Amino acid sequence: MDNILEVRDLNISLLENNSTIVKDVSFDVGRGKVLGIIGESGSGKTLTCKAMLKLLNEKVFGVRGKVKLNGADILNMDDKQSRAFIGKDISMIMQNPMTAFDPMMKVGNHIVETLKAHTSLSKKQAYAVGMRVLEKMNLQRVAEIMNSYPHTLSGGMLQRVMIAIALMLKPRVIVADEATTALDVKNQAIILDEFQKMRDSGIGLLVVTHDFGVIGKVADEVLVMKGGEIIERGTVHQIFYNPRTEYTKELLEARFLVDEVNYA
Amino acid sequence: MLGYISNRIMGLIIVLIGVTVLAFIFSNISSVDPAEAFARRNILNPTPEQIEEIREEMGLNLPVYRQYFNWLQGVLRGELGTSLLTRNPVRVDLAEKIPATLSIVGLASFWIIIITVPLSVLSAVNKDSFFDHTLRIVTTFGISIPNFWLGFILLVAFAIMLPIFSVVDYGSLKSLILPSLTIAIPMASSSIRLLRATILENMKKDFVTYAKARGISKNKIIWQHVLKNSLPPMITVFCQYLGYMIAGSAIVEAVFSWPGIGSHLVSAIIARDLPTINGCLLIIAVIFVFFNLLADILNSAINPKMLSEAGEV
Ligand SMILES: Nc1ncnc2c1ncn2[C@@H]1O[C@H](COP(=O)(O)OP(=O)(O)OP(=O)(O)O)[C@@H](O)[C@H]1O
Ligand SMILES: [Mg+2]
Repeated sequence: MDNILEVRDLNISLLENNSTIVKDVSFDVGRGKVLGIIGESGSGKTLTCKAMLKLLNEKVFGVRGKVKLNGADILNMDDKQSRAFIGKDISMIMQNPMTAFDPMMKVGNHIVETLKAHTSLSKKQAYAVGMRVLEKMNLQRVAEIMNSYPHTLSGGMLQRVMIAIALMLKPRVIVADEATTALDVKNQAIILDEFQKMRDSGIGLLVVTHDFGVIGKVADEVLVMKGGEIIERGTVHQIFYNPRTEYTKELLEARFLVDEVNYA
Repeated sequence: MLGYISNRIMGLIIVLIGVTVLAFIFSNISSVDPAEAFARRNILNPTPEQIEEIREEMGLNLPVYRQYFNWLQGVLRGELGTSLLTRNPVRVDLAEKIPATLSIVGLASFWIIIITVPLSVLSAVNKDSFFDHTLRIVTTFGISIPNFWLGFILLVAFAIMLPIFSVVDYGSLKSLILPSLTIAIPMASSSIRLLRATILENMKKDFVTYAKARGISKNKIIWQHVLKNSLPPMITVFCQYLGYMIAGSAIVEAVFSWPGIGSHLVSAIIARDLPTINGCLLIIAVIFVFFNLLADILNSAINPKMLSEAGEV
């Protein structure tokens, strides 16, 4: 069993009052495996994801532990070294595509900028690569998209652009934090489809969500988080049909309640 | 875009009319009688008849609205009347004074930009560092120190104690340095505050997190993403400053005996030289309004969102 991502004893504290927000989180993601993380609002899912890519403000949060990508601990490297991995070997799909892009930069330049940060491509070559990766995402009129400002595109389109950016540098792991939450049902289906393709190509996927439906469709294993700790873990089947903690049961029930309300 | 600008221009014309009407009303409710002031300056012991004559000659016996329309007709023909003080056409006097003020303001703008941008970025990036705290104290002084006092200090320090710059040396580039710094320091101080705060706010935005997640370097994130997104409020404020600098140039011009439009306006006010006062106010209002428009145009040019909100993509 080859794990491409190993997270060990990840602890996140608030520096100002030394309180621990995320405690002793450990998990593995294997090649072509999808790990789901679920938990109520404020349970520390986003902080965990951000800490893995070193996105947390060092002046606010203290982060301890190990985040090993193919054996290399990026968390404890200096920033210059780890930047070569972040955005390339491990990449992220953000929750809200409408605010993730720089509103004053054209979509194409986001792609070019990312490619140039990790490769020696010229600007022209990078632009051509950008067009190709957008076409692979089944986007129409890619030249137009490349030349658009983010606010002129729909959330669904931007989310696909973000996935294209995440995939274009052939990552080993992709972290998707509520990547489907802001989208309508149709776009959600498209994104879930992309997740399937990613796992088929051997990418390890970490999917954070509130939505058991999403977990049920894509995940192999599930972590349940509460108050910054992992309180339960297992295969999707175990968690869905045989939850051990009251908390997980409640989460599952709440989900059915939501469904009932939606269909009422 | 064009429709938007022409809308703005219409609004600005209304502002100009408002400003000039107010100027007329205020000079009329003032207790000093300009005809009498003029008579006393030019005739020894003028009789009431002589004063009346002058009043009629100057059109000051007409009701205010007639005076205003006469003046407005002149303005539309490019005539601002004749100065009661210098007896030159107001237009000629202004054309002579404005370049002096513009050269101070131009150099002051240059200082403001080259001081504000790097210092704001440095203090935002190193928030709560020694540098940041020091800069906060310095800018607090910069904002609260009165202009005439700052000018005076600079004058004493650099022209008298260390005579690097001469005091009365109108015309050379060197003579511009102290007055322009006097204007620039308070404005740079408050724009550092604004830009630092805007940068800090933008550093918390999602697009910064996402740029980091894509592996973009810190420098690129600051200079290419955060700074650019922090410019629009800065541009608006800076263009307002340009207006304030010109309108408020009187004090600095007085301290440095600089023959610009500010000191010209002050002497006109003292002499009750109504045509000059109105001419100066009109020019200052036009400049103010022009820079406000410029701020809008610049902002919509660099900010794609504003452009499309204004009705065009
Ligand atoms: N900048 C911060 N300062 C202080 N506390 C914070 C900060 N950011 C997050 N927290 C706290 O950390 C906890 C975990 O937050 P996190 O965003 O990881 O939750 P989450 O599981 O992603 O929730 P959601 O489902 O709402 O996205 C929350 O209780 C929150 O109050
Ligand atoms: Mg979250």
